[in-house]
Amino acid sequence: MTELNRADLYREMVRIRQYEARIMQEYHADKTPAWDIGAGLIPGEMHLSAGQEPAAVGVCAHLEKGDGITAPHRPHHFALAHGVDMNAMTAEIYGRTNGLCKGKGGHMHLFDPENHFSCSGIIAQGYPVACGQALAMKRRGTNNVTVAVAGEGAANQGAFHESLNLAAIWNLPVVFVIEDNDWAISVSRADSTATNSNADRAAGYGIPGVRVENNDVEAVFEAAGAAIERARAGEGPSLLEIHTLRLWGHFEGDAQAYRADLETVDERDPIPKYGASLVEAGDLTDGQIAEIAAAADAEVDAAIQYAVDGPIPAPEDALLHVFA
Amino acid sequence: MGVIANPASARDIRRLVAHGGAVTTHEKLNRLQRLLSGLAAAGIERVISMVDWAGISAGLLRLSERASAAAWPSLEFVDQEITQTAADTTAAAVAMVKAGVGAIVVLGGDGTNRLVAGVSGAVPLVSISTGTNNAFPKPVEPTVAGLAAGLVARDSGVRSAGTYRCKKLELVQRNRREIALVDIAVTNDDRVGSGAVWNTTSISELFLTFAEADRIGLSAIGAHVQPVGRREPQGLALGLSASADLIVHPPVAPGLCSPIGVRSVTKLAADVPLVVEAQRGVVAIDGERMHRFGPDDQPTVTLRANGPVVVDVAATLDHAAASGLLASTTSKPHLGD
Repeated sequence: MTELNRADLYREMVRIRQYEARIMQEYHADKTPAWDIGAGLIPGEMHLSAGQEPAAVGVCAHLEKGDGITAPHRPHHFALAHGVDMNAMTAEIYGRTNGLCKGKGGHMHLFDPENHFSCSGIIAQGYPVACGQALAMKRRGTNNVTVAVAGEGAANQGAFHESLNLAAIWNLPVVFVIEDNDWAISVSRADSTATNSNADRAAGYGIPGVRVENNDVEAVFEAAGAAIERARAGEGPSLLEIHTLRLWGHFEGDAQAYRADLETVDERDPIPKYGASLVEAGDLTDGQIAEIAAAADAEVDAAIQYAVDGPIPAPEDALLHVFA
Repeated sequence: MGVIANPASARDIRRLVAHGGAVTTHEKLNRLQRLLSGLAAAGIERVISMVDWAGISAGLLRLSERASAAAWPSLEFVDQEITQTAADTTAAAVAMVKAGVGAIVVLGGDGTNRLVAGVSGAVPLVSISTGTNNAFPKPVEPTVAGLAAGLVARDSGVRSAGTYRCKKLELVQRNRREIALVDIAVTNDDRVGSGAVWNTTSISELFLTFAEADRIGLSAIGAHVQPVGRREPQGLALGLSASADLIVHPPVAPGLCSPIGVRSVTKLAADVPLVVEAQRGVVAIDGERMHRFGPDDQPTVTLRANGPVVVDVAATLDHAAASGLLASTTSKPHLGD
């Protein structure tokens, strides 16, 4: 199993957070005074992953070259943690031709064949795709695995259940990850789901189901390591539900009036808490914490500059590189 | 009667690294229904339940509104702030003790019982296992547990016959003071990780309140070296090392009988504090890795006799049967030869 490196886990979480914070800033530029979702530097919807970094970082720490991820509509943290190039990803989010999909996908459709990373705005769509990837890996005789990521609301989709069934009966090297951030847009788990944990649902398909509480990156790291190692060894699929935190709105512009837990959200932010625990235990110094933040800032600045400098697609190229 | 059901039990990493079973929300609710039937049959009229955001209390409320629940005791819920952490369990138990409940029924594992036992005082506990590998709760049908809990709560004679005060371990480290009902383990881990202790090769020291050979978990290690009963005054302290001459193969997790080297074993007397030998590592309480420590804050472990009052379900019902507490007849049937 991968060795735990606390500084690396912290560094990657900070890198993702700084990225999301800057994307938020850029996204809101030029969208006022009248909110126009199609205006500004980054047109279209935007779903940011702040607060959910422990899930992505704890899982991806165990992935190797050749392993795959299918992510949902909130994909940035898993993309970055899995090694998708920050420059190309940012250019895609900005809709530029130097982006991953030549600017035609946007932030919910980041496709990186080199790293076997994909995502989509269609809820639970990544689950069947992950089964297909895992089947290919198995038939090729590799020991690679695919991680399928979805939110807790997605677990009420048929695709979720069909995928668990298929993966179980074919004993596929896939780990199904549910990021439970308590809210499916504005609908609470209690109002939408007949069981309180999707880990329970794994039992219906005869595969292990585990739930990780407290949004703790080291707890995720350990459980994900066991699930991924198990899949790599041919022991079959498993389901890992991570109770995490949506620090910001479902989408940028979401006022979150429905959210009863809003007052305590900031104090549950996992990154300052983890940083403080590492300093207290002597794993990092305050100086190193500051250096990590500065390095992340510099990398994000460069990525945004790369995107802003990228060419805007020409209207006459609209039908190039599309398949329907 | 107080009822505390841990919505999070039986979902940890031991489903991946061992063969831990699933106890789903629906199974927990099913067991609660059986418990409530038992409580009603024992004459309990009022039950106070913990509140959670995880489907147990909401499910219980929905079920209580059905016609089939007409015979249940009346159901109330603790007015508590929900944090979705272990603090909810403690807060619920405190509220129940303050409300003067006759007993508290706990559905969970060793960890849930530990939290309740920390604040239950003289209120008897009835434990129904819904955890992964529990040593503290013995296997019991919830209907039967409900009968026992109800009888203990209603009848002081039954309480005398069917309850006893169990031992506990007290851990002091830095400014924290915590208890264990079964075991405290010192591991050479560098991390708390996902909590559950499953890699027994990392354990260097083990402190036990009891060690019964038919249990699963860390206490089984002691049982195969020096058994200690729940009601004996002493506990057990073991030193573990892979290179020890004595190797035991106890069941430490579901489907996992690991070889474990035992380098020392000592009976543990009450009220004698012991500083752990390890200079650094992680301390695990009732099977859950909890705190990292170093040379400056090594934990101290002390066996105490004043643990929670617990209900011995078998003894309670034997007493009830001998006393005819659950029988009503106008003429006693003839016993054949």
